[in-house]
This record gives sequence, structure tokens and C-alpha cells, in this order.
Amino acid sequence: MRAERSTIVFNIIGYIVISIFTLLCALPFWLIISGSFSDENDIIRDGFKLIPQNFTFDAYKSVFQNPEQIFSAYQVTILVTLAGTLLGLFLTSMAGYVLSRKDFKYRDNLAFFIYFTTLFSGGLIPWYILIVNYLDWKDSFLALVIPGLMSAWNIILMKNFMKSIPDSITESAKIDGAGEFTIYLKLILPLATPGLATIGLFLGLSYWNDWFAANMFITTESKYPLQFLLYKILASAAVLKTDIAGNLGPDMKPPAETLKMAVAIIVTGPIVFLYPFVQRYFVKGLTIGAVKG
Amino acid sequence: MSGLFKELSKNKVLFFMILPALLFFITFSYIPMIGVYYAFTNYSFDGGLFGSPFVGMQNFKFLFESGVLLKLTKNTVLYNLAFIFLGNILQLICAVFLSEMIGKWFRKTTQSIMFLPFFISFVLVGAFVYNLFNFETGAVNALMRQLGLEPYDFYMNTTPWIYIIIFFNIWKGLGYGTVIYLAAIMGISDEYHEAAKIDGANIFKRIRYITIPMLKPTFILLILLALGGILKGQFDLFWQVVGNNGMLYETTDIIDTYVYRSLAINFDIGMGTAAGLYQSFFGFVLVISVNWIVRKVQKDYALF
Amino acid sequence: MKNRLFKLLTLCITTALLTTLLAACAGGNSGGSSGGSDKPSGGSNTPATDKKPDISKKVELNWYLVGDAHKDTPEVVKEWNKLLEKDLNTTVKLNFTTWNEWQTKYNLLLTSGEKIDMIFASSWADFFKFAKQGAFLDLTDLLPVYAPETQKDVPEHDWKDVTINGKIYAIPSTHPEYTPDGIVYREDWRREIGAPEIKDLDSIEKYMELVKEVKKVTPIKGSAWNEVNTLFRTYNDFKNIGGDSGVIVAKSYDTPREVIAYPFTEEFEEWVKRMKTWADKGFWPSNTLSIKQESGDFIKTNTGAVYWRNTPGAAGFISDVEKNYKGIEMGYFPFSRFHNYVVPNLGINNGMAIPKNAANPERSLMVLEKLRNDKTYYELMTYGLEGHNYALDENGALVSPAPGKDPAKVTAYGIASWGWRTDKNDRPSANRWKGEDALIEEYKQIARPDIFSPILMDYQPVKAQLAAVNQVYQQFGQPLMLGLVPDVDKAIENYRNRLKSAGVDAVLEYVQKEVNTYADTRGLK
Repeated sequence: MRAERSTIVFNIIGYIVISIFTLLCALPFWLIISGSFSDENDIIRDGFKLIPQNFTFDAYKSVFQNPEQIFSAYQVTILVTLAGTLLGLFLTSMAGYVLSRKDFKYRDNLAFFIYFTTLFSGGLIPWYILIVNYLDWKDSFLALVIPGLMSAWNIILMKNFMKSIPDSITESAKIDGAGEFTIYLKLILPLATPGLATIGLFLGLSYWNDWFAANMFITTESKYPLQFLLYKILASAAVLKTDIAGNLGPDMKPPAETLKMAVAIIVTGPIVFLYPFVQRYFVKGLTIGAVKG
Repeated sequence: MSGLFKELSKNKVLFFMILPALLFFITFSYIPMIGVYYAFTNYSFDGGLFGSPFVGMQNFKFLFESGVLLKLTKNTVLYNLAFIFLGNILQLICAVFLSEMIGKWFRKTTQSIMFLPFFISFVLVGAFVYNLFNFETGAVNALMRQLGLEPYDFYMNTTPWIYIIIFFNIWKGLGYGTVIYLAAIMGISDEYHEAAKIDGANIFKRIRYITIPMLKPTFILLILLALGGILKGQFDLFWQVVGNNGMLYETTDIIDTYVYRSLAINFDIGMGTAAGLYQSFFGFVLVISVNWIVRKVQKDYALF
Repeated sequence: MKNRLFKLLTLCITTALLTTLLAACAGGNSGGSSGGSDKPSGGSNTPATDKKPDISKKVELNWYLVGDAHKDTPEVVKEWNKLLEKDLNTTVKLNFTTWNEWQTKYNLLLTSGEKIDMIFASSWADFFKFAKQGAFLDLTDLLPVYAPETQKDVPEHDWKDVTINGKIYAIPSTHPEYTPDGIVYREDWRREIGAPEIKDLDSIEKYMELVKEVKKVTPIKGSAWNEVNTLFRTYNDFKNIGGDSGVIVAKSYDTPREVIAYPFTEEFEEWVKRMKTWADKGFWPSNTLSIKQESGDFIKTNTGAVYWRNTPGAAGFISDVEKNYKGIEMGYFPFSRFHNYVVPNLGINNGMAIPKNAANPERSLMVLEKLRNDKTYYELMTYGLEGHNYALDENGALVSPAPGKDPAKVTAYGIASWGWRTDKNDRPSANRWKGEDALIEEYKQIARPDIFSPILMDYQPVKAQLAAVNQVYQQFGQPLMLGLVPDVDKAIENYRNRLKSAGVDAVLEYVQKEVNTYADTRGLK
């Protein structure tokens, strides 16, 4: 079939717009990569450059001086991300499904009950007291996994995705005598793949990127997740600017700019490939087949 | 109350399915919420949360007395509106292009690349901004000098920062938001497009009359969700980009940065909580009203 | 609809609140019993009857230090625990806040009432505020029983600084420190460009002028705030009262009762006019307030010349440059030479304290007693493993790492051990900057006691005004001090008006009152 003129025009505009956006998004990341292979003095003197003036592996060498720490942090991050994402996705999709059921009378009230939590919060202190003093999760992986399982935002998005699944599917299954949980598990979940992929992606990213929970609750170094190592390095650079610097020994030096870049690359490297993986689940037209079949 | 129990027994399984979520939010959100009481006390270690002296609205005084609250609120709201609307519109445009364009490889690669800024911490964003815009060695001014133009001192002028900040915020969230719209587009049944094709509608018409209307609920939902945080700022973005530069506060000061500065030297739990409560309350009223309006117009689009 | 929603919401919130209240009560009770009744009885029984404290029960203590752990910390702590188990039937879990948002975390540790047996405490970590609000345990009665040697060791005036309303709340370190502000600068350039020796404000100005003209280098290439602010304070002899007091200062060391808001002085006017000329001459970049990079980094790449450092900081910086950047020669000018006196830091500039909810304060004190006074303990926890992290040279100075170790793999040990630092056990580093010893000699001759830091103020009655004043100070004061405003006279007027309407007078009045009370009790003029 010959392409229509409008389709060609659409594609030309699309290619231009998307290319510009892509370029803007790629550039800084490229600068970080280039920075991580640069000589420290070049960066201080001239700032970031697209191509390193003097190519060197120094930054990576110094990161991997202590490979055990990096590897154990990788382990922690991967385990926490996997556990949190799978469990979170299950609970979120279940809640989202219930809220999307039009015949469920209290769905608006419960949606409000959940949404309300994004508006008001008691702040850091009560939350900390809850987790440390009452749940006793200090220095426990539970503190990294459980509080991030669900968010109002994810549940409501999930509900929105599930809304587009026709009611007829649930109804016909009910007539066939299927239980509510079976309907959710066997019929709804397979149809909600794009939604699940999206929320799964978001959950995965939030676990991977989370350093704050570790910052608050983890005190054993071997339990530090990857992202926290990065922030720890950035923070130790910042403290040197304060009066406290006078107390630090002469051996305490600010981490090199290039080292920060290298760590950033090591920390984000693997998760960048999560997205192409998730893309496979963005498949069109799932519902039609199901309704017809 | 009896209605509640009837409904409970009728939809027993559904209730059980949502129960973990409810327990979760009670534990991690509602119980800690009593901490808002800090806003009304003068904290002491001997008293703790409930034993410290009650001081009424005194902790809110620093917000209202300084006379800048109106300007700060205006700044914060305007920035957030720009973030929310421009961000969502651009994400929607990208999603539409990416779903309809030809070239699988191009589509997949660009999607992935647009996600990259999400991973770049604001600390590094701050470093980039500085490298781009500083007067002596910044890339922008270097380019202007090469083109024979007068270099421009960004750090002595407040206007450009509005655009710089908006740009970087949208830039950071572009890939993330696009995914939501892409997933929503995937939920649109192909039948509509096929039928429209047979009717001779070209691609622009199909987008205009099928895709966009089908994305409207998602668009409205995302806006509604975001409105609740209208007074909460992207503290890290502002702090890392503008830093301690009082010269630029005229256009770049938001409530979060103001509160941070006010309490940085002498932190006070009560005052910090009070500021948060003001932000929450404002967002709450806004969301309730907008949701009410949406509900009147089109019940299905409302948040709750 | 509305009604039902409301009912459901009320139900949920009521449940939530009830649960919490119950939990809070239960928690309060248990906290009360362990904190309230056990401890004093244990503390008051022992001293009278027998001298040896009872250590028959094995306990694990929970200690917190600020900052980061060192790579070898787990090893070191393991060794330490071996010693502790033998001597005191105790082990310690040593935790670190890391520098990541450490102030927030420090605050949380104390506010949440976590069971912590010992924590680093310091005037720069808000010791006075926390102590006044009741965060720390009163050690007055425990010290003679569980840490008698330490009690004798710490000088009387240091104890006085940590005594609030007659109660001792911390164990200060015993290491008189001199940390006057100053600048490090390129000494080799100074000779090269023929600048005068740096000894006052004019010579600093001349130096930077020549650096800019001849070397074509911006002297303070990073953030210039610290440089200018400390220079301003010490040049005019304005003294901070009770930690950082923003714009409210004592007019000079000799007039402690004369409290002023310095932006309203003539000195300030003169200063900002001068700084305007400095900024216009390009002594620092126009975006200096946004720069996150340290001026010191630029010195190392020959693109900067001047950097603010206090004396220990300068020593560290210079020894690093001497070691790693051959061919650069640095000089140091301490601002103390403007008025020819220095004020040693308070003892509690670094120290250790026991939070109120500690489970085993007695044992914790005994561990600290060992740590401060037993050389084996002290060296292990302060310098790490001998023969690994360090070795001693013939003068008893530290060589790090120990000879034969690969410096890329083994580094000098360093954690926030400052809280238990004692001079009698302290060892110098073999590769320290030699200039520091001379400076410390110089300071010892001209030292005067710190009479301003121990003034306790929590600003409770004026905290709204203080927050507003601090805000104005940062928004308008800083650009003004750095000469970044187009019209100085207008900016001064604007700054003063803003301060006035923010309530600077109320803060001033509060501070004045507190200073008077303090001066009366201390018998100051």
C-alpha cells in the first residue's frame, strides 16, 4: 500500500521532533560518560567536554579499588528491587483492580482514602519513630522494601489502566462461575500488560533509585544499596565546604569530579537497560482478542 | 452502617483484595499523620509529641509575618502549573508520535534515550547548568562570543532562570511521563483506528478524533494527581540550580527554598511542620474543588 | 454520598488515631520504666557502697558517630570489641551517620528517642540547643563513679562549658584547638608578581589585584562567601554570640555586653563599598554565589590563587598540595593577626554525650573512660591498626600507611574520633605541614578564653523573627557583602529596611537580654 501524503508529513515531523528531544536528553548523559574518562584537572579547569582531552581510566580504577563494596551494593540493590517490584506490583494491581470495578460500591471513598495520603503527611519524624521504635526495622532490609511497596499514585494509575478493560469480560466470567480472585488473576492481569509493565517499571526505578531509606535506616556498610554509595560520595564532597572540614584529617580529600561521574555511570548503567526490556510488553490490541475469544 | 456490612459480605473477596493496601496506608501514612500536631507545639525532648506545650498558631507566624508568603505562593503555583501543563502536553505529543511513527528501531532507541535524564541526579544537573551558563567559561557564552555576539551574564539577570528551571524540570520527566501515555494508547482498541482508516480519515484526523479523546481521562487524571502538590516544590531542582544566590530569588524563590533558608541556621520542628501543613492544606482545597468541578462535568474523569 | 464518604473517613481516621495513641502510650510507658526508674537506682546505689562498678552482665552498646566509617572500620571495631569483652564484658556496635544529610539524621536520632548509649556531640552539632531542650542524660552523678579519671583529666573550665543549670551533659574532648580563619594563597606567585608580603587588608587587596592583572587569573575562583564573610568579621572584630548568630554580634572582644546588628554600622557600609570595588575588579566571578566548586580546587590547576581555610584546614590543604602538586608553593595568612589574639575552641567543639533514652549509660561511660585514658584503646580507635594503617617513626609520629603497605590500597585511618580526643595520648602525623607547629606556638602566646560561645540561646520567644531575619540575611545580605549589587547605597538601605521589618530589633533585644544575664553570672564587664 502506498503511504498517504499525510502519513509522510506526520513521520517527517515526528522524526524531527523526537530527534531534537532525544538529542537534548542524550547530551548530558554523554557528558557524564565523557567526564568519567577525563583527567581531573581538565574538568576543573575547563568544565565538561564532549570528548575527553586526556582519555584515562583513573576514575574507574579508583572506584574498583574496593570491588567488594560495589558488588555487595549491587547485590543489595538487585534483591531489594526485585522483591519490592514483584510484591508491590501484585498488591498495587489488586488494589487498582478493585477500585476499577464499577459495581464496587465504596470505590470512590476508598480511592479518596488512598489519595488523601499524598496530600498530608506527618513529616519525617513520626515516620522514623514508627519504623525504628515500633516496627524495629532499623538496619533491616524490610525498611528498604516495605515502605515503598505502594503509592497512591501507582494505585490510581493502575485503576485508570484497568478501566479500559471492558466490563463485559468480568461479567461473562462471573456468569461462568469464576471467583473474583480468579478473574483478576487469570483474565484481568494478562489483559493489563501495558499497565503492569508501566507500573512495574516505575516501581523498579523507584527502588533502584532510592537512597533515602538506606540513608535513614541502614547502618551496616555491607547492607548499603548502590544508589546510597553515590550519594555518600557526593555528600562527603559537600561537607568539605563547611567549618567541619577543619576537624577532618589532612588525608580527607574531596572525591574527584571524575570519580563522581564514574560512580554515576556504574550506578545507573544496568537499570538503563530495564526500559527496553519493559518495552516488549507494550503490545497493542490485547483486549479485542479476549473479548472475541 | 448496615449498608457497609451488607456491601462487605457481598463483595467479601474484593474487600480482601484491597485490604493490604488499606492496612499499608493506615500504617505508613495515617498513623504518622498525627505528627502534624508538631506544628502546634513548642517541641521539647522532655515532653515529646504530646507533652510539649501547645502554642496554637504561633509556628505559622514566620510564614505570614514576613509578608512574602503571597509572592512565594504565586511563584510556586506558577512554576508548578508550567511543570504540570507543559510537561504533560509534551509527554502526550511524544507518546502520540512514538506510537504512530514508522521505524521500530528508531522508536525503541529514542524512547530509551528520553528516559536517561530521569537517572541524572539534580546535583549533576546543577553542575551542567553552571557549565552552560556561567559568564567566563560557560558553553552558551563561548558560543555567543564565537558568533560575534555580546556575552550575556545569566547570573546577573533573573528572567532567564524561569525558563531554565522549567526546561530542566520538563526535560527530566519527559521519558517517564511519555511511558504513561504510551501505555494508555496501547489500551485503545485497534478497531477504532481501522474503522476510521476505512472511512478515509488520514493520520492527523485519526489522532485528533480518536487518540486524543481517548487519552483525555488519563490527561485529566494526571493533572488532578499533580494539583495536590501544587505548593510543594522540586526543592532539589531549585537548590542545585540556583543555590544560595540571593540575586536570583526574585524569580526563583519557592516556598520550599524559603523555608529551608529560614530554618537552615536554627531548625525548628514546629515551624518546619507548620510550613508543610500550609502546603498540604492549600493543595487539598485545590484538589477537592477541581475534582468537584470535574465530577459535575464528567463523572468518569473524577479522581474520587 | 457526601455523608457516607465522611462517615467512612471518620471511621478510618479514628481507627488510625486510636491505634497510634495506644502505641504511643505503650511506648511511653516502656520508655519511662527503663529510662526513669532503673538508671538512677543503679547510679545512686553503687557510689556509696563499693568502688568497683558491677560488670557481671554482658551488654551490647549502641554508639553513634557523625561522618563516614573508614574502609577498615569493621576490622578495627572487631579488635576493639575483643579488648572490651575482656576488660568490661561489653561489646559496642559503632554506627555512623555518614555525611549524607547528617544534621537531619542526628536530629532524628535524638528526637525519636532511639536507644543510643553514646553519641558524638559538639557545639557545631547544636549541643547547646539539644542540651537545653533535654535531649541528653545528666552525667553529674555518674561521672565520679564510672569515669573518675576522665573527670579529673578534663579541665575545670571545659566542664563549666558543658554544665547547664548545674548539670553536666557531655564529656568534652581535651585538646585545645586553635581554628582561626585565614586564607591560603599562592606564595610563589606573590614573589613572581612582586606583591607585598600579606599582613593586612591592603596587602590582600594588592595581591589579588596583581594576580588578576599579571597572571590573568581570577583569585577566588569558586564560591567567595566564606572568604569575604570571615574576613569581614575578623577584620572588624565582630564576635559571634553563642554559635552562629547571623547579623547580631558583639561589637568586639573587649566589649562583650555591647550587642549590635552589624548591618546598621558604619563599618559595614565602608566594607560593602570596598567589596563592590573588589567585585568590579574581578576578584571573584559574578556568579560566585551559585558555584558549588571549592576555590581550592582551582588553585591546584593554576586557575585560582586564594582560598578560605581555618588553620587545621589550611594545614591539610597545604600538605596535600606539597605532596601531590609539586611546584606549587602555598602561603597562609591567619586573620587572627588583624587584632593579634586567638580564641581557642571550646572543649565541647568536639565531645561525647549520652542521649536520654540510653539503655546502659553506666557501661557506656566506662567504655569512654577506657577509650580516653588507655593508650591501646585510644590508638586503635583513633589511628587504626598498627603495622597496617600506621606505624610510628623514631619521634613517635604517625607514618601512614605503615611502611611496606601499598598506599593505593591501605590509607590512613580516620573517623570522627574527635569526640574522645585527648592531648596526653595524641600523636602528630609525620608528614604534616611544618608551618602548623609555628602557628600553634604563635597562637598559644596570644590566646584569650572563649567568652561568647557558651551563651545559651534557643531563640524560642523570637523564633519567627529570627527565621525571617536569617532569610533576609541570605537573600539580601550575601549579595551585598560580595559587591554583586549595581547600586550599593540603595542596596544597603533596602537591606536595612528589610531587616527592620523582619523584626531584627526583637531578635537584638532578646540576644542583649541573654548576654546580660550571662555576663552577670560570669562577672564580665
